[in-house]
Amino acid sequence: MEKLLKELQHADLQRQTRRHFLQSCGFGLGALGLGSLLSSCGDSTAGTDISAENILAKIPQFAPKAKRVIYIHMAGAPSQLELFDYKPELVKYHGKDCPAEFLEGKKFAFIQGVPKMLGPQGKFAQYGQSGAWMSDYVPYLQTVADEITFVKSMHTDQFNHAPAQLLLHTGSARLGRPSLGAWAVYGLGSENKNLPGFIVLASGGRQPDAGKSVYGSGFLPSVYQGVQCRTGGDPVLYVTDPSGMNRNMRKQTIEAINEINRQTYEDVQDPEILTRISQYEMAFRMQMSVPEVMDVSKEPQFILDMYGVKPGEGTFAMNCLLARKLVENDVRFVQLFDWGWDGHGTSAGDNVEGGLRNKCQLSDKPIAALIQDLKMRGLLEETLIVWGAEFGRTPMQENRNGLVMPYMGRDHHLDAFTMWMAGGGVKKGYSHGETDELGYYGVKDRVHVHDLQATILHLMGFDHEKFTYPFQGRNFRLTDTEGKVVKQVIA
Amino acid sequence: MRNRVYIGIGVAVILMSSFTWSGGWFGQKVDYNSEVKPILNKHCMGCHGGVKKAGDVSFLFEHEMLEPGKSGKVPVVRGDADASEMIRRILSNDPDEKMPKNGTPLTEDEIGTLKNWINEGAAWEKHWSYKRIEKPEVPSLNNVWNLFGLLDTGDKKWAKNEIDHFVLKKLKEKELSVSPEADRATLIRRVSLDITGLPPTEQEVSDFKNDKSENAYEKVVDRLLKSQAYGERWTSMWMDLARYADTKGYESDGGRTMWRYRDYVVKSFNEDKPFDQFTIEQLAGDLLPKDQNGFPKEQNLIATGFHRNTMTNNEGGTDDEEFRTAAQIDRVNTTWEVWQGTTFACIQCHSHPYDPIPHEDYYKYMAYFNNSRDEDVWDEWPKLRFYKGEDSARVERVKDWIKKYNPAQEADVNQFMRVMEPKINAHNFVKGDESTVHLISYYAVKDKGNARIPQVDLTHADNVVMNVSTKAEKAVLKLHLDKLDGPVISEIKVPVRDTVVIAPISKAAGKHDIYLSLTSPKMPEEWVRITWAAFQKALPGKDQPDYAQIVADYATALTKSTESMPVIWEGKGDFARKTHVFVRGNWMVKGAEVKPDVPKLLAPMPKEFSKDRLGLAKWIVNRENPLTGRVIVNRFWEQLFGRGLVETVEDFGSQGSEPTHQELLDWLAVKFMEEDHWSVKKLLKTIVMSATYQQNSKSDKVRQEKDPYNIWISRGPRVRLSAEQVRDQALACSGLISDKMYGPSVMPPQPDKIWQSPYSGESWIVSEGPDRYRRGVYTYWKRTAPYPSMTTFDAPSREFCQSRRILTNTPLQALVTLNDPVYLEAAEKLAGTMKKRGKTPEQQLSEGYRMLTFQPIEAKSLNVLLKIYQEALTNYKKTPSDVDSILVYGKEKSPELAALTISANVMLNLDNVVTKE
Repeated sequence: MEKLLKELQHADLQRQTRRHFLQSCGFGLGALGLGSLLSSCGDSTAGTDISAENILAKIPQFAPKAKRVIYIHMAGAPSQLELFDYKPELVKYHGKDCPAEFLEGKKFAFIQGVPKMLGPQGKFAQYGQSGAWMSDYVPYLQTVADEITFVKSMHTDQFNHAPAQLLLHTGSARLGRPSLGAWAVYGLGSENKNLPGFIVLASGGRQPDAGKSVYGSGFLPSVYQGVQCRTGGDPVLYVTDPSGMNRNMRKQTIEAINEINRQTYEDVQDPEILTRISQYEMAFRMQMSVPEVMDVSKEPQFILDMYGVKPGEGTFAMNCLLARKLVENDVRFVQLFDWGWDGHGTSAGDNVEGGLRNKCQLSDKPIAALIQDLKMRGLLEETLIVWGAEFGRTPMQENRNGLVMPYMGRDHHLDAFTMWMAGGGVKKGYSHGETDELGYYGVKDRVHVHDLQATILHLMGFDHEKFTYPFQGRNFRLTDTEGKVVKQVIA
Repeated sequence: MRNRVYIGIGVAVILMSSFTWSGGWFGQKVDYNSEVKPILNKHCMGCHGGVKKAGDVSFLFEHEMLEPGKSGKVPVVRGDADASEMIRRILSNDPDEKMPKNGTPLTEDEIGTLKNWINEGAAWEKHWSYKRIEKPEVPSLNNVWNLFGLLDTGDKKWAKNEIDHFVLKKLKEKELSVSPEADRATLIRRVSLDITGLPPTEQEVSDFKNDKSENAYEKVVDRLLKSQAYGERWTSMWMDLARYADTKGYESDGGRTMWRYRDYVVKSFNEDKPFDQFTIEQLAGDLLPKDQNGFPKEQNLIATGFHRNTMTNNEGGTDDEEFRTAAQIDRVNTTWEVWQGTTFACIQCHSHPYDPIPHEDYYKYMAYFNNSRDEDVWDEWPKLRFYKGEDSARVERVKDWIKKYNPAQEADVNQFMRVMEPKINAHNFVKGDESTVHLISYYAVKDKGNARIPQVDLTHADNVVMNVSTKAEKAVLKLHLDKLDGPVISEIKVPVRDTVVIAPISKAAGKHDIYLSLTSPKMPEEWVRITWAAFQKALPGKDQPDYAQIVADYATALTKSTESMPVIWEGKGDFARKTHVFVRGNWMVKGAEVKPDVPKLLAPMPKEFSKDRLGLAKWIVNRENPLTGRVIVNRFWEQLFGRGLVETVEDFGSQGSEPTHQELLDWLAVKFMEEDHWSVKKLLKTIVMSATYQQNSKSDKVRQEKDPYNIWISRGPRVRLSAEQVRDQALACSGLISDKMYGPSVMPPQPDKIWQSPYSGESWIVSEGPDRYRRGVYTYWKRTAPYPSMTTFDAPSREFCQSRRILTNTPLQALVTLNDPVYLEAAEKLAGTMKKRGKTPEQQLSEGYRMLTFQPIEAKSLNVLLKIYQEALTNYKKTPSDVDSILVYGKEKSPELAALTISANVMLNLDNVVTKE
């Protein structure tokens, strides 16, 4: 393991309630990684035998298939009915009143009264040897169809963006739980001493609805939270030196700080000071490595063309390329958010005809490029790509306030949506689960977001039921009290 | 010969007392809490506790363990381990029977403990923190140890107050010794940061150093406790507990005017309001005795802002009742966490997994809060309105009028003008034709549309008062009695604006459904929006000539948008709610109805206390409550020492940490409640006057080995400054800080693109003038995007109550203090002073170091600073353009000042600067 991580862990250990660590003996990670700690379980006074080394042992519960994750979240939720979940029956129902059984006892964000059904707007065909159904909205993704596992029977409990995003990323619709990425870094540690283990990139002009909590560390120590690298301004807050201070001088200042801190340490013997010294070194390295890894100007032209990016842009395509660079540099978890997929049909931008096509045009090519690029570099096998959103969209056309909308739009829908995964131990060219003939409800192999989380953790080498953290008198886990691993999608 | 015998006996006594302490020896009975409960929690309660009762067996309550399980066998037979099913199953070799099922088997020792415990009668005991707090005896320093001269007789001299006796006792048990007193400069910096959150001024340090009087330190402490900064410092702590923010939370996270509550907290701390009163005001200020107008005292109502810091969800389509319930649950959980140090959240779904609190108790407790009138409406009603200028005059005119013509109505009318309660929120209307109740808590209706207001008591009503807004011209709203085509009791011509209308209704006694119907033939597609409606007695004095004017004043006052803040207001009569148990925590599945009550586990509710929030608040701060005193004292201790006497300040239950010094905790709690009458200032003074607190914080090999986390306090606290302190200190030492207090939160510079709120045009507008340099406690707090340097230094988002900030040490913090413009501005300002004060770089740098640490700089450190200064100077002389780049705040642009700024930047990042030593 890297020295830096040891230091980080050591620092962390100092601050954390030791009890939590002691209590974690016998659960999940603790049982495997903290051999020598077992003897001190339950003894709230023993403390001297915990060394950073022990805490550091980041051994998954079984061999991970995915060492790294790139999670692509289309915030707002694109329509599965226009992209992947082909429903020829829905064409016939287009413009007809929604059957009463779909509305009975249901709640929607905006739909009122009896809406009309809305036929699929995309032209569907089968692609690849696997014969995956995809629409003409995603021509590039069609070319990598055989790398992908689709899950068409996703469902969730929440029909508003923020709580649904929280449920998807933290396992709970309420705030305060650690996110998937935080759990991943907590469980597996970081492998790059110059970069944070969990990096977040956002595009589309806005942050995800649920804010930082979707990549927060919740009750886990804050070292595990996602660090957002921004595409405008400093990639990490305050990573840039003030103007008038050159690199060399910054180096000298940090050396001076650390030198005096070392003197202080000799005097007061507080190990916290050693941690601070190593964190200043890390900060200095990050000042170099973050802008470097965020700079794509040295990428060959064919790569830039493949993703469709120009250096200096803060686009989703750029974030895809950066995601590749980050996993190439052993960043454990890269989270992409792209805003603007909420196709209600209220304007030219947010509908399932033109608006969704535009969003796909901006994202389809780079996503396909990311899969190909990782494959080319031999990284796809160990990198899991997850694509999806917080929920899906209704087979009915939205009729906000009971009115006919100016554009074709669909309301939020929690009973059926599609996500896909590629690389990192999932089947190639496979489709899991089915919805009914109108795409309203999963009828075969339904997968709840907790099941998806259990599956992702499984691919990373963790039994989601045993991977816990004690907080407020309870052992918490990502999947709360639910979740089953979807074994069928695992290669 | 004689001497030898004495020494021999002495050693024996010492050995004995050491052994007795470790428990279990010399025929002591097995102790349930310290020996048995941990075994049960570890091995048994997961399946046989509050969540699950596998085989109908549980060890949660005393009676349960003595009752037969499904098998008919009794888990624990008192006095007979062999007859106890529990022991049989633990010892069984049959894998189907052996306990714990599929778990780690118990050790021989653990089995022995359980057997002994049962054979001795299986005594059941309350967890330590649920027992009444009794004042323990202060350990004497004249014990066997120093009688025989075996230990340092300096102990007696070292100890300054009772705290030290308790601490010494433990230190001896752990074979640790105390540390000497910190030097005066360190001490005054520590105590200043602890009590006021700010470093001392140079003058204060030198005064203290030169004060040779015996009570020099006490004078400093008294001065600090009197300073205005004191209240601000402790408010920072309280804000995390109160989950204070300037926004509503959830997705849209729009603004909320809550700063008056923050100011109330600052003032309360500064006037040393007794903590019991502080508690009662925040939990039940609205129910405290009223003022001469029959209305709660304004400060008491502002205090109830504490529980209006819950989040409000304004997102479209969300069910207001769901999020009202979420806020109620948060109030219950927060009250328990703040005052009772108990995580109550798990009881929401099932009985407490480890502590004997039944599921129903949660909802009985929630019943105290459930009558609050707030219903997650967009406008956050009820709010306390603050009238100004002409509006204030209107309100006074209305009040005078009522005093004159019918004083009995004064309280009701005044109440409605101040908090607009009681009223029926439009989301409670039942939907009719051509209407909608979605989006944000208003009811919209258009031509030929209707709605029903269920069961309105019209007995005393002469008027309907309604908030309506529309663009439709000539719309008419009719109110029908009992049915849609029932008699029209009122007809309202809806004005084309957002307004409060008052219209007479025909008399009708008793409760009725009221149907609204709208005709709007001119603009049938335009919506008429209704936010709320109230049915009221008419203002008195109808026959007076100015009556119309007074009614107009009343309506105008209600219509006017005034400054306001959310408060708690109790619903009475028709506006009171029934509380039900939520089956497995699901708010939509309601179980039995419950009445307000407190958990039996703690003290019973005294009969003389009212059965409402006020009674509950009094119960919380009642002397008999076993938790409050301990929990609160522990919070303050944790703030000073960086670690509570119970480390899990948020959890005093059996899953929390054991207290390290329970006697000390209890002694402090009793003194706090009885002797000091809940005076926080006296509590803090007692702590900081102890020798324990005044020790220097240096560690060494022995201490590092025996007590790496300073649990036993063999040295002073050495803790990184809090987020607010890091900022405030940089501003204070450089002379930038503003001492302006109170008022709306401010927006000091922050990087672009931090705020990205969907659905609102709100933006961060950088404050100018002194507001740019105010203390961190006044920084605008947006829940979804808190001030970035605060969160980097471990401040929570304040969506929920957080008792502890778990300190981290990360590279992102280094980047803040290295590169955040706040710290560069402080560095430049500091450099300016350094330059003025010294002639040579040596003098200037030493001066800067002293301004930050109040210590003389050591030669080797000075050499490091001199080196960086010289390097920087050379660079800036070589590249003068860099001078203009780095020095952006002041007028002077010289390579020397630039080099000093770089040196100050180094100093602001030193460990002993960002740490309280």
